[in-house]
Amino acid sequence: MNTNSPGKVSFDDLVACPSCDWLHYRLNIERGSRASCARCAHELYTHKPFSIDRTLAASIAGIVLLLLSLFLPFLSLSRGSISSSISVLDAVGALWDSDMRWLGLLSLGMIAILPTLRLSLLIWVMWRLRYRLGVTSFMRVAMRWAERLEPWAMAEIFMVGVVVSLVKISALATLSVGPAFFALLGVILATSLISIFYCKDSVWTLLTTHSA
Amino acid sequence: MDSTDNTLGVTALQAGLARCDYCGALHRLREVDSCRLCGAKVYSRKRNSLQRTWAFLLVGLMAYIPANLYPIMLTSSISGNTSDTIFSGIVTLAESGSLFVAIVVFVASVAIPVSKFVIIAGLALSLHFRWDMSEHSRHVLHTITEFIGRWSMIDVFVVAVLAALIQLGAILTIEPGAGINAFALSVVFTMFSATSLDPRLIWDTKKDG
Repeated sequence: MNTNSPGKVSFDDLVACPSCDWLHYRLNIERGSRASCARCAHELYTHKPFSIDRTLAASIAGIVLLLLSLFLPFLSLSRGSISSSISVLDAVGALWDSDMRWLGLLSLGMIAILPTLRLSLLIWVMWRLRYRLGVTSFMRVAMRWAERLEPWAMAEIFMVGVVVSLVKISALATLSVGPAFFALLGVILATSLISIFYCKDSVWTLLTTHSA
Repeated sequence: MDSTDNTLGVTALQAGLARCDYCGALHRLREVDSCRLCGAKVYSRKRNSLQRTWAFLLVGLMAYIPANLYPIMLTSSISGNTSDTIFSGIVTLAESGSLFVAIVVFVASVAIPVSKFVIIAGLALSLHFRWDMSEHSRHVLHTITEFIGRWSMIDVFVVAVLAALIQLGAILTIEPGAGINAFALSVVFTMFSATSLDPRLIWDTKKDG
């Protein structure tokens, strides 16, 4: 239980596992590799090449596709002479109109607002880091929120919901998917790329050492 | 001590240190409130982790009951009005031949929520009564609950899409039912419950450090 006073070692040379709190010495790892906890195998830190550039690129692609997917027609249905076409925002509006206001807001948040906010924050922070525009304390706040929002951005889950809906009503009417459907597929691809490219360790190192 | 030589053989807490959840900077436990590097609040373990976990879990569990009793979708057409609960919706899907989609909905709306209730309650009980369980298996269970909970939202989005799309007046109209409200609440609160459970507590009970 007893340990030598950490006074000899600088705090910066130590890393605690985010998942089990086990203390490790920080080692210099090779580009493209990751260090994981000796006790619980959780990821400790990574060294991903060109993380800032790639995360920035994927975030910009993501936000363009996201905005397209929200406003363009998403699905259209026809049965005889009647046809209707909806956008993602119409789906949210349907909940709002049926007196399920909070559920409408929750879906709006999960499909539209939170993903847009998260991508905007990422773009802003990555842009400023990429072009060395100086680090401000608000960038750290922005990055915290971008990380915190991640589980609540549910584009991919909405997509599965859409596919299930398609199957459910395929017997009732003829359905076709619109451009927004493919844009949303692109959003899912871009967000997966962000989680692959984003290197938490190097971003936070930049955010905390180059303070303006 | 661990076999690998890059560890100190103690947790940060045992060394009197606390880790910032965001930037990872370490601090002396008694000295800090917010992170010296990034300004976030620093704590060694989430506050009242078990209490919060139980509170959110119970709300999630309570909401899951009306979610299954009330209809989630109301269909009105020329041939009459029908309503679907979560379960009857799955049965209808399976009977219409879409077995795979029926399984997807079953997993998202029944299997995931129920197993989440059981796993989180089990983890919390094991921490409370210090059951002798492998840290590794509990760690895996915790990671799973954090990862899968959001997928339960599928049914909510299905109802939203159908209600928006199927507005053909007297011929066929679909509206969301009260059950979907309760279901969404249940998903949100169990997500809160899973994130409230601090995984570091699982390892704190380990005797030999």
